[in-house]
Amino acid sequence: MEALGSSDCNLEILETLSDDAIQEITESYDGFFTTVESLISGTGDSSVEDEFVSHVYCLCKYGLDSLVRDHFLRSLEQAFEKGGASSFWEHFDAYSEKKLTNYGEEIQVVLCKALEEISVEKQYHEKCLSIVVHALQSYKEQSSVDRQTSDTERVHLFSRFQSMLSSTLMTTLPQHFPEILHWYFKERLEELSAIMDGDGIGEQEDDCMDLDEKLRYKNGEMDVDDGYSQGKRLGHDKLVKNIGKVVRDLRSIGFTSMAENAYASAIFLLLKAKVHDLAGDEYRTSVLESIKEWIQTVPLQFLNALLSYLGDSVSYSTTSSDLTSPLACCPSPSFSKVVTPSEGIVRWKLRLEYFAYETLQDLRIAKLFEIIVDYPESSPAIEDLKQCLEYTGQHSKLVESFITSLKYRLLTAGASTNDILHQYVSTIKALRAIDPAGVFLEAVGEPIRDYLRGRKDTIKCIVTMLTDGSGGNANGSGNPGDSLLEELMRDEENQENVGFDDDFHTDDKQAWLNASRWEPDPVEADPLKGSLSQRKVDILGMLVDIIGSKEQLVNEYRVMLAEKLLNKTDYDIDTEIRTVELLKIHFGEASMQRCEIMLNDLIDSKRVNTNIKKASQTGSELRENELSVDTLTSTILSTNFWPPIQDEPLELPGPIDKLLSDYANRYHEIKTPRKLLWKKNLGTVKLELQFEDRALQFTVSPTHAAIIMQFQEKKSWTYKDLSAVIGIPIDALNRRVNFWISKGVLRESTGANSNSNVLTLVESITDSGKNEGEELLTGEEESETSIASVEDQLRKEMTIYEKFIMGMLTNFGSMALERIHNTLKMFCVADPSYDKSLQQLQSFLSGLVSEEKLEFRDGMYLLKK
Amino acid sequence: MKLLLLTFYATSVLHTQKTEWHAVASWTWDAQDETCGICRMAFDGCCPDCKLPGDDCPLIWGACNHAFHLHCILKWVNSQTSQAHCPMCRREWQFKE
Repeated sequence: MEALGSSDCNLEILETLSDDAIQEITESYDGFFTTVESLISGTGDSSVEDEFVSHVYCLCKYGLDSLVRDHFLRSLEQAFEKGGASSFWEHFDAYSEKKLTNYGEEIQVVLCKALEEISVEKQYHEKCLSIVVHALQSYKEQSSVDRQTSDTERVHLFSRFQSMLSSTLMTTLPQHFPEILHWYFKERLEELSAIMDGDGIGEQEDDCMDLDEKLRYKNGEMDVDDGYSQGKRLGHDKLVKNIGKVVRDLRSIGFTSMAENAYASAIFLLLKAKVHDLAGDEYRTSVLESIKEWIQTVPLQFLNALLSYLGDSVSYSTTSSDLTSPLACCPSPSFSKVVTPSEGIVRWKLRLEYFAYETLQDLRIAKLFEIIVDYPESSPAIEDLKQCLEYTGQHSKLVESFITSLKYRLLTAGASTNDILHQYVSTIKALRAIDPAGVFLEAVGEPIRDYLRGRKDTIKCIVTMLTDGSGGNANGSGNPGDSLLEELMRDEENQENVGFDDDFHTDDKQAWLNASRWEPDPVEADPLKGSLSQRKVDILGMLVDIIGSKEQLVNEYRVMLAEKLLNKTDYDIDTEIRTVELLKIHFGEASMQRCEIMLNDLIDSKRVNTNIKKASQTGSELRENELSVDTLTSTILSTNFWPPIQDEPLELPGPIDKLLSDYANRYHEIKTPRKLLWKKNLGTVKLELQFEDRALQFTVSPTHAAIIMQFQEKKSWTYKDLSAVIGIPIDALNRRVNFWISKGVLRESTGANSNSNVLTLVESITDSGKNEGEELLTGEEESETSIASVEDQLRKEMTIYEKFIMGMLTNFGSMALERIHNTLKMFCVADPSYDKSLQQLQSFLSGLVSEEKLEFRDGMYLLKK
Repeated sequence: MKLLLLTFYATSVLHTQKTEWHAVASWTWDAQDETCGICRMAFDGCCPDCKLPGDDCPLIWGACNHAFHLHCILKWVNSQTSQAHCPMCRREWQFKE
């Protein structure tokens, strides 16, 4: 404004100027130019200054003071550009080639030197400027203008100078300078951190210090009486002072923000490195506390010292003296002061902690998959992550990243269903720790569940996990199956507790307590997915959720249980009883009814067995070729409650058959009017084959036993004859015979055609040389199942609907899965009513598609033409 | 006896010993019909009030040779004010001796 005002004056004055005046102005103008030049370059002596001042007066007299200011500043700028700035940058020219690499130690010296030089230069320029200001001021005082203006004059000029200076530097700023600064601060900080780490080691030596003391120590309150750490402190102080000086110099040439950026990024870099260093791939310890401690000791100390050196923390010195004196008897300069943390420090602390939390969180989230793989051991890492997330609130990041890694690493064809399930269970447990409400679990679990639903063996694996200790996990990491059972047990206890609460404490007070404890769902919760109470995290429930309905799971379990019970010979069913009891708690008595009957059958069989044996002891003496009843035990089933059992005709050798019918008769005697129907192909036979030169023990199925027993009578049989005697088809016989061949008990020799191939008993070990290698080939032959699998059952049950479906499709052309499902539900209400799930229907339909009865196109089923 | 055994060994090179045979059987009520005429449940199952089949839910035969779950026919007999009749053949109900 002022400059503008005076230029207005100039115009009026211009008309009234006399020639003399013009002459005077021109002279003093020229004089002014030359004196300015010599003043700035510092070549003239003290007379130049006087001359300069008189020229300024003269120009001011004609109201040309704005000209004085502008010209002077421009001259300063030119001089600075030529001298200071370029020489300043020249210092760093040598480093322009190296990008982001090691600048070496000398950069520190160079930087300090350059800054010092430019400061000197700046000081000189400021001196010149103050001469001008002084001249202008004294002129104004003479012409009786009040002091107020002259003060603003000064401020105004200096700020113009300052901005001129920094803009000059900025425009000529080489690209690599920020990097140099960054590098410088990084180096310094690392040095500092090393010093502090040294302290840390010393500190760890006296672990017995209680926490309060430690905290005081960290705040720098500890009595520093040993020279060693004092030396460190001094080194530290010196270093901080050095850095402080650099920062102050940078500030003075207008690089405040650049300097701050540089040391901030250096600190963050250091912090990040530290977090990575501490956290790394170690999940078994919590690192959050040590990171916080480190922030407190290294970067915050540094910032504290730095800010106080720069005079930013106002409260620093004022509060220090009266607070420290009673506590510290020998205070060292920078550590003795209790810092009522200034606002800057607090802000820094928050920034640093947030950054640390975020870094750790990112680190953990990226590795969440591995962390969850060894979950129970890695729970400290989970706990850290939980705290970080509470602070940063970036849960969605976790969900996204975890789902991606799941899809990439777990939900692939290569992963076994068992592994997926184990990971799922661990995920449930781990995420339950992070977020008890289960909102994120819901999001993360969805893809796993969807994927598992597409796998055929999911149900089987789940049931195996539930019931088997080993969980079918071959790589033997502990007993994961056990943990699932334990889970069931624990849930059972919880439920008992809940029940207890419900019975005795549901008064108003309790209701009020419950109400006041209510917390809203996290924001990320999907309102469509039910409220908090429904999302109770129950692992078994979530597993059932994969399958679709508990009926399916129970059904699968029943088949598995049947298989297991049928293979038992010792009636020892304690573990099964326990499992069934646990499952009963979760699924209700009614759905486990059939399993209970199955178990009961076993218990009854045991009793009946002993009764029959007792009754037959009193019986007559054994005749020749007759077997004692002691060799026989039996499992008696209530067929209606067992899953369908595969029946196969089988003729047993005479003595055994006799034994069985005797046993059945005795049963009939004891339990009239009930009678026994043998399922001859089921059961287990332990037998010892006695040859001339050796004895072999086997545990085989009755069919196998029947085959080998035929060879007692006759050394060689043709397939045809053998199949006729035993009463099983030739192809079935073939499979069984292979077992004995592989064991080196039988030998096959080629006949006229395949049915007349002759099987001969291998009499002695000498002519059974080749059996060893073949044993492996037939390993899976033994894993025959006697129970029809659930899929077989389903197929059988679904075939009645096949006609309906075919008719439907003939009428409607093509239909979607759901429509077929709904139509069946609507029309098949009569006996047997349609009670299958959508998934079951789908698998049945895909069976029909593979049989080429149907076609599946764009989500629609249609008849195959 | 000994001589017999010796001849046995002479004719056979293979001899099975220490056999332990664990067989599987199912039990059934020896009734002519499949299902109980009262509850329409299988005889080999149990009546609607029972949980365990077999000894806990036995069958009973009437003089007319019709069989029912014991619990079912008892309920029937007790619900009749006068003399009960067999639900199947309407003859007077007598428990078979």
